[in-house]
Amino acid sequence: MNDLPQELAIAMTAGVLRGSVYALVALGIVLVYRASGVFNFAQAEFGTTALFAAYAAVELWGWNYLQGFLFGMAAGVAMGLLTERLVIHPLRNASKVTLLVGTAGVALAAIGLQFWLFNETLIMSLRKIHDGFYVTPWGAPVTTQSLITVGVLAVVAIALALFFRSPSGLAIQAAQQEPVASELIGVSVRRVSMLTWGIAAALGALAGILTGPMTTFTAAFLSFGAFAALLPGFMAAVLAGMRSMPGAVAGGLVVGCVEQLGSLSLVSDTVPGTGAAILFVFLLAVLLVRPQGIFVSRAVAA
Amino acid sequence: MNPAASTPVDADTTVIDPVEPVTQEIAPVPVDPAEGTNEDEGTHRAFRPGPIGRTARTFAWLLLVWFVLAVPANVMSPFDLGVADVGAATEAVIFAIIALSLNILLGYAGQISLGHQAFVGLGAFTSAYVVVDLKLSFWFALAVAAGMGALQAGLLGAVSLRLTGLYFALVTLAYGKFTEETLLGITALTGGEGGKSAPRPAGFDTEIRYYLLCLGFLALVLFLDWRLTRSKAGRALQALRENQRVASSYGINVNAYILLAFATSGLFAGLAGALLAHHEEVIVGSKFDFRLALLFVLMTVVGGLRSRSGVVIGAAFFALLGSGKLLEMLDRPLGVVGFNLTSFIEDSIGLPAEFVALVIGPILLLLTITMYPGGIGQQVAPIREWLLWRRFDPHAGKVEDVEVNDVRA
Repeated sequence: MNDLPQELAIAMTAGVLRGSVYALVALGIVLVYRASGVFNFAQAEFGTTALFAAYAAVELWGWNYLQGFLFGMAAGVAMGLLTERLVIHPLRNASKVTLLVGTAGVALAAIGLQFWLFNETLIMSLRKIHDGFYVTPWGAPVTTQSLITVGVLAVVAIALALFFRSPSGLAIQAAQQEPVASELIGVSVRRVSMLTWGIAAALGALAGILTGPMTTFTAAFLSFGAFAALLPGFMAAVLAGMRSMPGAVAGGLVVGCVEQLGSLSLVSDTVPGTGAAILFVFLLAVLLVRPQGIFVSRAVAA
Repeated sequence: MNPAASTPVDADTTVIDPVEPVTQEIAPVPVDPAEGTNEDEGTHRAFRPGPIGRTARTFAWLLLVWFVLAVPANVMSPFDLGVADVGAATEAVIFAIIALSLNILLGYAGQISLGHQAFVGLGAFTSAYVVVDLKLSFWFALAVAAGMGALQAGLLGAVSLRLTGLYFALVTLAYGKFTEETLLGITALTGGEGGKSAPRPAGFDTEIRYYLLCLGFLALVLFLDWRLTRSKAGRALQALRENQRVASSYGINVNAYILLAFATSGLFAGLAGALLAHHEEVIVGSKFDFRLALLFVLMTVVGGLRSRSGVVIGAAFFALLGSGKLLEMLDRPLGVVGFNLTSFIEDSIGLPAEFVALVIGPILLLLTITMYPGGIGQQVAPIREWLLWRRFDPHAGKVEDVEVNDVRA
């Protein structure tokens, strides 16, 4: 329909907008992996839970948007803390695969809960923060909501960078690298673990509440529903070597763009489900060729 | 069963893991050739049930056979337990085969697969394609589907040789997504939204006959699985699950055995997929999504890794719970005392019956891995021992035997 360069430009714009959500999810995954060595399959579900809480508050109970937003954030963070307390902490000596199955169990439990509590409503939607809609000079559609998401990602990335220079942030890094020594100098490893899971859950919650209004949603929205960000989030984290925070942001944007290549009419006319195919090949290629990641910052990778 | 027989594993594995295999290998005290069941558990060898014990065990076996064969067919079944719905029972049997397939990877080889629905799904469509489009026989289609499963799993297994546990889990996840959206999105193969028809073979077109056919295949898979664990390959897998480096230092060809585990697992999954296709008669690609993969992991772990009986019970439990038949079955006897479980859950708790599995499943999973790592298998181990003409031992099924284990993470 269009010429290829223009189509590519539109796809890349959409990729960056989508990728900023992946980046938020990836930041949470990297944070948790650095703290607990866990592949957190519940990360996206923190977001869906927060979104459902915000939806209930704003659309069903008639709270104002800010209250609903904060309530959603609180629900997401509460779920993160409960996960740490009830699943991760009791399993701290178990194998990594057991922990992975545990977080998948948490995600499934949250999905079951969403089905249970919201089964009367088939399709839900939350109103946008702002209804703006623009078209860029090269013809890509952009909503204010997605611009806000990109802005939030930028703010969060900077805030996290600053936070890791503060005493609490340094305590997190210390507890990850030398748990015993950190305990000796007075860092509570348990509190640090709670703090990390809380921050990660807040990141997931942000992703959920900001993404929900872009489309309608059902249970498991952010994991493998209408806006499946779990697998792309993991890929972004893998690109970051599972460790680098700036890498997770870059990885999220790259994964978003790579995935959008599948929407080019050149490809999508020939192969069905191109997004998934491209992501699979991309993940395999990255893991087999450069398993240590691509966007790895030297300071953090140590 | 043993493509990698070139390595002298047999004697070595017994040295590596002196806990159980030793008793199997170098202490073959020949007792009771009449009772062929006691190959291991040396402490129980001297035990023989008395006349009452023998009668009770025989009766229990007959009860079990009646339950598996007659209840779904509603023959001599009190309270109409079978609800004349053989279809649900067939699905439970097929799920049991899938769970056994996953158990080989998760339990024996210590590899996680989050893309098992892909093996099952491709097996299903392959079989349908062979029967409908190529007009070849059902039995040939089963073989092709099983081979297809083995091929896919073997290829993924080759990837797993390069990637460790958690990263490999991601690859299987992405592979499942890729199969679901890309391979099963090819309309020529899958018939698109409307699905693809998969007729049943002649002679097995009634529900009950098809159920018995699936039951036969479950028995075959159980037998093969039992032989696998008792063979050189089974002991090699056990050794490399504990510690790959040590295992390879004893001359075990680690890569070959991991590939063997993957291929066997894929073989069973592909077979189950074909059986599922012809059970449902019309299959739709969107059925094989990621939630199905999680359900498979759920029923295998809750069933109890490395416990055949537990895995089968776990799979049947989740299959029947998912189709709502378990509640229906429980409602018949409960109706005698005027209690209806389904309406209690639906009206008093406000949980629609089709979501019960979604809510209970994850809770059971979390309870299993945090508190009862042996799953259902550990709970039924004493009964299993008793049924196998051994002493009823409440401490059977030790926890250290069945903990979720990974050496590759």
